[in-house]
Amino acid sequence: MSQLEISNDNQVYVNTPNDPSPLLEVWRRLKKHKLAMLGGAIIISFIIIALFAPLLTSYPYDGAVLEDRFLPPLSEGHIFGTDDLGRDLFSRIVYGAQISLRVGFLAVVGSVIIGTILGLLAGYYGKWIDMLISRIFDIMLAFPSILLAIAIVTILGRSLTNALLAIAIVNIPTYGRLVRSKVLSLKEEEFVMAAKALGMKNRRIILHHLLPNSLTPVIVQGTLGIATAIIETAALGFLGLGAQPPTPEWGTMLADSKDYIQLAPWTVVLPGISIMLVVLGFNLFGDGLRDVLDPKMKQ
Amino acid sequence: MKKYLPLIFVVVLVAALTGCGVSQETSDGADDSVLVFGRGSDSVSLDPANVTDGESIKVTKNIFDTLLDYAEGSTEVVPALAESWESSDDGLVWTFYLRKGVKFHDGTDFNADAVVFNFNRWMDKDNPYHQGNFPYYGYMFGGYKGDEGHVIKEVVAKDDYTVEIRLNFPQGPFLSNIAMAPFAIVSPKAIKEYGEKIGEHPVGTGPFVFEEWVRNDKIVLKKNENYWLEGYPKLDKLIFKSIPDNSARFMALQSGDVDLIDGVNPDDVTLAEKNPALKVWLRPSMNVGYLAFNTEKPPFDNVKVRQALSMAVNKQAIIDAFYNGLAEPAKNPIPPSIWSYNDDIQDYEYNLDKARELLAEAGYPNGFTTDFWYMPVPRPYIPQGKKIAEAMQADFEKIGVKTNLVTEEWATYLEKTGNGEHSMAFLGWTGDNGDPDNFLYVLLDKDNAVAPDAGNIAFYKNDELHDILIKAQQSGDIKERTKLYRKAQEIIHEDAPWIPLVHSTPPLIGKKNIVGFVPHPTGSDKFVKVEFGK
Repeated sequence: MSQLEISNDNQVYVNTPNDPSPLLEVWRRLKKHKLAMLGGAIIISFIIIALFAPLLTSYPYDGAVLEDRFLPPLSEGHIFGTDDLGRDLFSRIVYGAQISLRVGFLAVVGSVIIGTILGLLAGYYGKWIDMLISRIFDIMLAFPSILLAIAIVTILGRSLTNALLAIAIVNIPTYGRLVRSKVLSLKEEEFVMAAKALGMKNRRIILHHLLPNSLTPVIVQGTLGIATAIIETAALGFLGLGAQPPTPEWGTMLADSKDYIQLAPWTVVLPGISIMLVVLGFNLFGDGLRDVLDPKMKQ
Repeated sequence: MKKYLPLIFVVVLVAALTGCGVSQETSDGADDSVLVFGRGSDSVSLDPANVTDGESIKVTKNIFDTLLDYAEGSTEVVPALAESWESSDDGLVWTFYLRKGVKFHDGTDFNADAVVFNFNRWMDKDNPYHQGNFPYYGYMFGGYKGDEGHVIKEVVAKDDYTVEIRLNFPQGPFLSNIAMAPFAIVSPKAIKEYGEKIGEHPVGTGPFVFEEWVRNDKIVLKKNENYWLEGYPKLDKLIFKSIPDNSARFMALQSGDVDLIDGVNPDDVTLAEKNPALKVWLRPSMNVGYLAFNTEKPPFDNVKVRQALSMAVNKQAIIDAFYNGLAEPAKNPIPPSIWSYNDDIQDYEYNLDKARELLAEAGYPNGFTTDFWYMPVPRPYIPQGKKIAEAMQADFEKIGVKTNLVTEEWATYLEKTGNGEHSMAFLGWTGDNGDPDNFLYVLLDKDNAVAPDAGNIAFYKNDELHDILIKAQQSGDIKERTKLYRKAQEIIHEDAPWIPLVHSTPPLIGKKNIVGFVPHPTGSDKFVKVEFGK
């Protein structure tokens, strides 16, 4: 995985003749982690559902068939029943998986990229650059993140894209801080000192030595972050600030059907369970990944 | 971060289950003559002449009396503070004989001077107590003292209990207007004492006395022991409680925190009918919910586009789905319960092929994209703006018209549509006095198509219609007025500035043992005869 860990590995497994590659090693240990595998399985099944949405569904997710309102689950080919506009709930949940996964993934990628760059700069160069970037992070973290996201969406306008942007922006400091603290400790390591002594350029040190070595915590945090991003998308959607109708976003579906909790509970319960399952999947997998990637956990 | 979402759900859940707050002083057996009325939002002010929103008038109706009132469940004019009245043959002088021995809640006498004082406060912008906008006075009586169209010349006290109102010209709906809740008689002593703050310290002659107002929570009224109607009111206390969320309000009723609610999700009526402890009342229909096109903005300046969209709405399907059948499709701006309703008009049929043809004729063979504004809050005429908009969005898409759904916070929504910032927008109207003028002139005349605060948010200007409406307004002959209003409805139908959607019959749900409650078509009820039975 990284130079630092390889050197550690070599020390630990001095007597092993064929050292497995670090990725394989991670996978080997992950396989033993039952909860992580459960999480992974949930994630993979949702990814499959999202990818093959058009093949799995026989009804459109939009439109309105008013005479078919509130058909209960398992009726007339609607296995999840229909919602208040007579739309097939199964189609909406399946297409909703596409939206939630895409938004969760893109938002995290966005905040990871920007957060990592800022963290590297702040950690490596220090001085006023560190001052400036860290104080900006402090200010952003001083707001409750959902409040900040609401403010950003209100300024940019209500849409799914803007919700995605807002979530990406509010999560930047999390990754920025993580990378910065890692870089601060790496900077003192001998291999970085050596690279400096050899006259290596700053850019090369950052990209080839610091970046690869600080990615592990980011990967763990990023996996957990997807769960957070999905739940924040749903929260914004619930407040009417995310996806706009007729987009089948789970949080929006929840908000739309909360009036019918007594009359047609499945319209509330099913999107709710979907959100819960995906978030649970990413959390379990992320936790497992952390356990596995933590050097202290190695036998 | 992920900590907050559960928090939001918990808050929503708790709010839903508890009915948003304290509910100690409700009527659970101990004291059965306290009625808690659950409603969607708080009042703005309790100065009846200075408000236009239904939630304020709902309360002032119970604190104040008007000279004339409407009969139970209809808009027939009946005596109230004035026991009888007569008019001169030319309709220019109206004499009102006042009820004797009536006292305001502060102990002062109700008499002719109090009536004159109130009228002068409303109509004279130079009056020291004319603090506020007095919007309804302007709507109903053609402006204020000195304005060209002002109806009332002067109001004089002939003796202690006789008032004469002299008009500049006759007004058809004069008596109906006088009976409207905004023209309630407020204690002159209280106005002098509180000035601008009278809206927070209302003092009237009505069945209930103002006791306490906790903003955004509740307004508490207590029984007026000296009410002029012998033996009434029956209730000891009347509490208006604000619970914004429809389902939370219904749950508060089920759990006994409130006794009677309006703003019911039509789907909840089905649940209430199954519950043996609850009863459903239907408010007689005197409203209209509509989609107004902004006729000043292309493509809606083209009448063919407006007619095409009118053919792409399946009103009956919408009513079955979102009103639980408690509405009828609208073809005119005025509801059928109002005289002069033109039943000969044939509504635009639901026909997507014809709609496409019309759009092509208008020069939009491939349709177009536009914004579709829906209200963020439930209204009696459109209980679920977003859902109905989504259903109509799907229909419009079938004829190639793509719509983006837009909404704003309610006050902003009214402000922006009143300024004409929309392309097409949902809105509605509940009649105040049962006169067609109260719908047609307020909502579709060019006089009211002026930003800001336009009543006519279609910004529809038709001179022929204007002449008819003014003529009808100034006529005292009901036959002539009927003829004019029927003609007006034909013109409006042809020009299609709106898609009139529905006339709804808003349901109320309450405890089964409530007796004497008759919902009034105007949307505000006087709880004089209401009580809890066995």
